[in-house]
Amino acid sequence: MLLFICGMTIYGSINLSMGSLHRPGPGFFPFLLAIVLALFSLALIFQNWAKDKVPLPFWERHSWLRPLLGLVILTAYAILVNSLGFLISTFLFLLIWMAGIERLNWKTIIMVSIATTVVLYLIFNLLLDVPLPKGILAK
Amino acid sequence: MSEFLDLFQGLISGFGIAFSPVNILFALIGALLGTMVGVLPGLGPAATISLLLPISFKIGSPVTSIIMMAGIFYGAMYGGSTTSILVNIPGEAASVVTCIDGYQMALKGRAGPALGIAAIGSFIAGTIGVIGLTFVAPPLAEFALKFGPPEYFALTLFGLLMATLIGEGSILKGLIMVVLGLLLGAVGLDPISGAIRFTWGLFMLQEGIDFVTLAMGMFGIGEILINLEKKLSTELVSRKITNVFPTLKDWADSKWPIMRGSFIGFIIGILPGGGAVISSLVSYAVEKKLSKTPEQFGKGAIQGVAGPESANNSAASASFIPLLTLGIPGNAAIAMIFAALLIQGVQPGPFLITERPDLFWGVVASMYIGNVMLLILNLPLVGMWVQLLRVPYAILAPIIVLFCCIGVYSIRNTVFDIYVMGVFGVIGYLFRKVDLQPGPLILAFVLGRIMEPALRQSLLMSAGSPWIFFQRPISGTLMTFLILFILFQIVRMAWKSRRNKGGDI
Amino acid sequence: MKKFKMVLIMVAIGVSILTPALGGAAEKYPTKPIELVVPFAAGGSTDVLARLVAKYAPKYFDQPLVVVNKPGGGGVIGTEGVVRSRPDGYSLYMGYGSGHDLVMPHFQKLPYKTFEDLIPICRLSVHSVAMVIRADAPYKNFKEFVEWGKKKPQVTASVSTKAGSVDITFQALGKATGLKIVTIPFRGGAESVTAIVGGQTDIGANHPSEIISHIKAKRLIPVGVALEQRDPALPDVPTFRELGYDVVTVGSVKGVAAPKGTPPEVVKYLAERFKKVCEDPEFIREMKNIGQPVMYQGPEEFAKYLKDGFEQYGRLIKEFNIKLE
Repeated sequence: MLLFICGMTIYGSINLSMGSLHRPGPGFFPFLLAIVLALFSLALIFQNWAKDKVPLPFWERHSWLRPLLGLVILTAYAILVNSLGFLISTFLFLLIWMAGIERLNWKTIIMVSIATTVVLYLIFNLLLDVPLPKGILAK
Repeated sequence: MSEFLDLFQGLISGFGIAFSPVNILFALIGALLGTMVGVLPGLGPAATISLLLPISFKIGSPVTSIIMMAGIFYGAMYGGSTTSILVNIPGEAASVVTCIDGYQMALKGRAGPALGIAAIGSFIAGTIGVIGLTFVAPPLAEFALKFGPPEYFALTLFGLLMATLIGEGSILKGLIMVVLGLLLGAVGLDPISGAIRFTWGLFMLQEGIDFVTLAMGMFGIGEILINLEKKLSTELVSRKITNVFPTLKDWADSKWPIMRGSFIGFIIGILPGGGAVISSLVSYAVEKKLSKTPEQFGKGAIQGVAGPESANNSAASASFIPLLTLGIPGNAAIAMIFAALLIQGVQPGPFLITERPDLFWGVVASMYIGNVMLLILNLPLVGMWVQLLRVPYAILAPIIVLFCCIGVYSIRNTVFDIYVMGVFGVIGYLFRKVDLQPGPLILAFVLGRIMEPALRQSLLMSAGSPWIFFQRPISGTLMTFLILFILFQIVRMAWKSRRNKGGDI
Repeated sequence: MKKFKMVLIMVAIGVSILTPALGGAAEKYPTKPIELVVPFAAGGSTDVLARLVAKYAPKYFDQPLVVVNKPGGGGVIGTEGVVRSRPDGYSLYMGYGSGHDLVMPHFQKLPYKTFEDLIPICRLSVHSVAMVIRADAPYKNFKEFVEWGKKKPQVTASVSTKAGSVDITFQALGKATGLKIVTIPFRGGAESVTAIVGGQTDIGANHPSEIISHIKAKRLIPVGVALEQRDPALPDVPTFRELGYDVVTVGSVKGVAAPKGTPPEVVKYLAERFKKVCEDPEFIREMKNIGQPVMYQGPEEFAKYLKDGFEQYGRLIKEFNIKLE
């Protein structure tokens, strides 16, 4: 946790350099904010230093695995959705997510994936007229 | 007295118009659409109305189209609270505050009462708003005109202060989040100087980060990522879901918050730009201060839902006032309605009431009707929504993620925004791990984008002198109030920490 | 014999596959709806213009015009989208000649070349920069305003965006009159109108479509237009040249453009049809009502008009030494 707060302070200092332009100009406000942020972060670190005897583990065992997996699937979805098109990507997304992360039984997975993809398509594309990427299916 | 009679006459004729089958139908369509849109993250009332603009002139009559659009608008306000309560994702900026206690209530199995009170409160507030619209519209609109940059600055500063106070947990952490939120708000083209800030050359960021992307990321994805850590194969709500409707006690607790919320929302809602957000914030803070059990706030106090939800609904009604009386659109959605009217040959402005009383009164009357309709629609739906929470989280989670993705995508039709959302998701996730609440950040983000330009505009107006904030009556009052408030808080804090040494600030 | 049949069938299939492709090219344009891209948010003056045009299009076009909003980057994102789209005439840019076309390039580099990557089709309207004052102000026309302003350390003017057409005009006026005009940017025309109506600033300027309802309501008084000749939307308002200040701009021009490479027949078709819309009496009436005068110009004239306008802004900026802070 302390490491993280340190990270914040560093972030604040980066802003310090990006924000410095002349007075009430575009840089003024961010500059001010960055200084304030740095101060607050320091205060926070200080506060914790005084208190914490036993730092709690940030992540228990491998509990970061599942969130990471989720993130990866999400990113993959974003990358592929334009090329594969909405219907296919969404279907795959649901499939892989439920299989990989949640380990549900196949029947449920398939049913939910199909149903959800269809419903979402109906709601967004047809009903609300939101353009969704067509990808391969456009031809 | 005769003016009063005129008003009544107008209103009655308005009801006559509003009750026509066509108009009722379109009011219903609008309300339905609006609720759906409000529930679905991403698509906001503004975007929806703009999509429907072409249809609006196929409808033919401007009265009917504006009735439909108004329905969409406050339907969205109703719907926005649904996701806030159920999955801690704000449907739009005004619903952020509802997340705080609403979601907690849901986790305790009290999603039903939360949703119910939100619906009822919204109805009452919306109706009060419309009543206000009927009777005091013109003079209040003039008042709204007096709000210039200094006033906006004072107001948003006030709102910002509220935002720090509402987070549970240490004030210091709340402050940090606020500052971060303000910084995030600075990303993009600076309207005052034309300079481009913090975009690292990415053209896509030039308009700044969109609220929805930020909200979906921090609230939605962040929440899901955190939950993924635990192997939740069961439902989100571990406790048994208690009654679906608010109890009598709930009702008693919420009576006054609803009333207060309605008034707060109405007054702040008239102000162009950001009325609903600020009013929900103020309402929450007021309720917390006035409550006999302030510790409950943040853990599922129903007043924390009743007040803000009422506030944002009456603010929605109030935001029609500048449009109908002065011809000035107060926010993006109203601006669409403005455009739709223009295309149909109607000019919104001071003469609207006299030139087209059928339009004015027809819309006002249909707003009453619309509110009733929404209530009737939504109450039964509460039961359905609650059932949704029964779905195993394992299935719910990816679906929620998908909703967020699509919602975010629909803003600008680019996948880029999904990436941005992902980034914020990770950030939100990390923040939660260190006990930093995203609420104040996102509120600061919204308010900051109003506050900073307002500050600089004010200084430009005063040629650099900071005294402008005190020279003008309205901002002067607000600023004085603000300063007193801060002093008060500091004194209180100093006193408290003197009493229990060594506690967290 | 069988082989021959096979070959025949293959040829038949081949021809039937190819014909649509060839026929597609030979078929008359347009064969599907045409996209009209507005690089601003829905509800703004350009958007309203586009929708109005689209409303009358079915009378004169063979396919419907569909308005699409692609806001962002002050207009650049949507325009860029059209620049990069296929030059087949199905994706058009509405709003050619706006601030980001004529003013912005003097200050910033854009991701495309405004005049080389786009083909002008026609001009539809001109949104001039019109100065307005409040009806209850202590000055009743521009001359009085200047006198009033000279006694003050500064006067404030509300503008829609920093370094937009309006801002530049004010800065030029400031130098021309000797007044210290401090421009206060707001977020868009709507906000800046609200500001001047509310009396937050001493003077404001907008496009006629944004202020016409307020003028009718006698809340605002127009005192001057920065145009070569009087704006048809405000025929009683003098130009600044008439008032003695050589501040002339083309305002914000609203025209239609297609990406470079669009076939000339398509350009011709579009220019003709848009012309017909501009001659429709109902259309003219509606446009007048909302403060956007119909001012049609064909492709060649329009191209020249744009170039002139662009250079004019350039000269104004140089002459009055206007800078982006």
